Amino acid sequence: MNRYVVYNFIMVSLLNLMLFVPSILFQYRYNGAVSSLITASLIGSLSGIVYVHAMSKFPGKGVPEILNERCPRWVSVPVLLFLALMWVSTSSITIDVFAILINRFFNPDANVFVILAVMCVICIYAASRSTLSMLFNIEMMLLLNVPLIFLLLMKAVGSNQMNWDAIRTASNYAQTMPKLAPVAAAAFIFTGYLNMSIYNRAMPPNYKFKRGLLLPVVGVGVLAISYFVPIGLHGVDGVSTYLYVWSATSDSLAMEYGFIERVLFVFLILYLNLTLVYTSSGWHQAMEMVKGCFPKYKPSIDEHPIPRRNYVIVSAFAIITILALYLLNEKHLIQLTSIWLIVRMFAEYGLVVWIVLLSRLRRESA
Amino acid sequence: MLHRITTLFAEAKDLNTHRIHNHEFTLEVAYIGSLVDESKVSDYILVPFTKEEQSFKYLVETNPSFKKIEDPARWADNLLRGFILLNLDNSIYTLDAARVIRNQTPIAEVESSVQGPQTALSEDLVDSINLIRSRYPSAELKIEEGTVGTVSLTRMLLLYDQQRVDPTVLANIRGRLKEVSLEIIGAVGELEKELSSPRRSLFPTMIITERPDRVARALSQGKITVMLQGSMFALVLPANFFDFMHAMEDKYESMWMTKFLISLRYLSILLTTTLPALYISVISYNPELFRVQLAFSIAGSRSAVPYPSFIEVFLMLFLIEALIEASARLPRYVGSTATTVGGLILGQAAQQAGLVSSIMIIVTSVVAISNFVIPIASMSYAIRFLKYPLIVLSIFFGVVGVAFGMFVYLTYLCQLRSFGKPYFRFLDNITKKQGDIGQVNAR
Repeated sequence: MNRYVVYNFIMVSLLNLMLFVPSILFQYRYNGAVSSLITASLIGSLSGIVYVHAMSKFPGKGVPEILNERCPRWVSVPVLLFLALMWVSTSSITIDVFAILINRFFNPDANVFVILAVMCVICIYAASRSTLSMLFNIEMMLLLNVPLIFLLLMKAVGSNQMNWDAIRTASNYAQTMPKLAPVAAAAFIFTGYLNMSIYNRAMPPNYKFKRGLLLPVVGVGVLAISYFVPIGLHGVDGVSTYLYVWSATSDSLAMEYGFIERVLFVFLILYLNLTLVYTSSGWHQAMEMVKGCFPKYKPSIDEHPIPRRNYVIVSAFAIITILALYLLNEKHLIQLTSIWLIVRMFAEYGLVVWIVLLSRLRRESA
Repeated sequence: MLHRITTLFAEAKDLNTHRIHNHEFTLEVAYIGSLVDESKVSDYILVPFTKEEQSFKYLVETNPSFKKIEDPARWADNLLRGFILLNLDNSIYTLDAARVIRNQTPIAEVESSVQGPQTALSEDLVDSINLIRSRYPSAELKIEEGTVGTVSLTRMLLLYDQQRVDPTVLANIRGRLKEVSLEIIGAVGELEKELSSPRRSLFPTMIITERPDRVARALSQGKITVMLQGSMFALVLPANFFDFMHAMEDKYESMWMTKFLISLRYLSILLTTTLPALYISVISYNPELFRVQLAFSIAGSRSAVPYPSFIEVFLMLFLIEALIEASARLPRYVGSTATTVGGLILGQAAQQAGLVSSIMIIVTSVVAISNFVIPIASMSYAIRFLKYPLIVLSIFFGVVGVAFGMFVYLTYLCQLRSFGKPYFRFLDNITKKQGDIGQVNAR
């Protein structure tokens, strides 16, 4: 079931816009962003292919089971809790940012906490479903939204306002050495494969990942578009004046035919769907990680009716999310995000190396 | 025997009990006159018994239509189904002489088709089985009999192809049928509500159909069919969302046009659920969403309307729902009057009086018409409800609220299961070799 790996990959890579990835990259556009993009693409694709391959050595198992089997509990439980934090934090930042975006562009009079609360309730509902339902949900939302997002991106690329000269100027800075923060930001685009940590449970027993080449192709494509298109439309200097670069970029496009003229609205609605499904997927995985800490827990991918502890755990995540927006403003959020992206990157590659080693050990012992 | 039977039943005029004698035997006969074919009583029992051309006992023992029953507890049961009870030499026999009043060779009207088969299933199980067997002549077709309803004891048949059926689904439906505890089951729709597994599901998880060709095709796909005596509809399960978007006509007509029509149905669903909510959000929240010319013409068209947009929407939706309900319940002769009065005169007048905008009239009619595009009636009903929660969300959150609502609906659909099978998922070409997600670890 290659396509489910690809769905997760595409979902996370398209979602980078909500995590300030372009804004972080643009801060470094004169000193190392482009080379960081290249570095991140190499590391990201490689670890993606290796990780999915390693996970397929553990048929029907997620990371919690693997760690619980192979490590003592005092190792596995803190690690699982940290991984849960990793998923919760990215999802929660995303939904916080999107609540602010809705408040800014759609309902300026509404209270941002009310909007966030409703989004949280929706995500609680979606995230507490079974893993199988979650995968179907991801599939449906991507099939409905990604073609349209792709169309809009293509429209942006083909726009006659595009200044290719600016893009060339920006790409001339490729010789400067990569920096940690932009590498971490760009590497986020490639982290979709990490969702296999839980979703591997649902994969069929004889599953082998075949379309490995798709990961670098999709990743590099999305990375290039989300970095270079705003530069082409706003200019190398102008691009850093925006916090939500892509909202400004999509607002600079117009659809001449049809009911809706401003691309911004379509873009935001599509990304709203993507954000909701990403957040619920992130919370769902974090929930499974937390559930993996209970000693007697037996994983199941399709439970009906939904056990009560799903609701309890996910509601805790929602409360954290609302508190985060209450305590932090946007400036703090973007600082937190750029630091968190770095921490997260190291954790991610640590996990990849660990799982790959475990899968090797398993093969030798067998 | 006769004494016992008369004590079993409440005093009923149509309960016939006779004791007759010939040279050899004394025969006791009991039957319910209104349920049986009286000519069968005389042809099979009274005439041969009195003529005495051969020993009546020999006749009863050789003719396989007479069945011996041992258990006195089943007497009442048998009588009520239109069987005749005989007591001959202290052994009890039954003979099926039921006379069933039913519709004669009905024509498919709910799911009509232009060029497909025109007959519908019958209200009598025997006739229905005849129709299905002639379309699905397979030795593997298994028919199980049972009853549902503790008082109505409605006869029920469970049909499936024993080679193709999914055993987990079969076990699932058998278990659910055992749990049905209603007193009276009148139609398959009632049974469907009892069987569906969240009880208050928003969407039907079983197809109710009257078409034998749909049943036959479903059997060939390994699905299970439940039929009830006295209902000309069959219940086909498991079903997924996309089955409901399929008319049988799609199989019989030109391929390109049917593909187009199917996509039209999905578009219609989208319109009929979101349009009223979008109207509210565009008027009251985000007029900047549309291009300027359109926004102006919408605003201009409701310049005479004195109240907020959601009251307007509720007003018109109440009218249209009442109209649909009225034309469904009214006798056929009056029905057309109701639609003319409601649709033409009221709509036009409401707009001219400045109670609603002309755009709202268009929205209402689009909502009503696109709702009827859905081929299966139960799904059409389910979809009809979906617009109201969206309206509530759009009152509070505008366009974003509609997007929220649609997301929740999709999530709901994705988590729904029809007898353990996924209800709403994208079915790509899933091969056995590749395997499918969810084969392992499911509970």
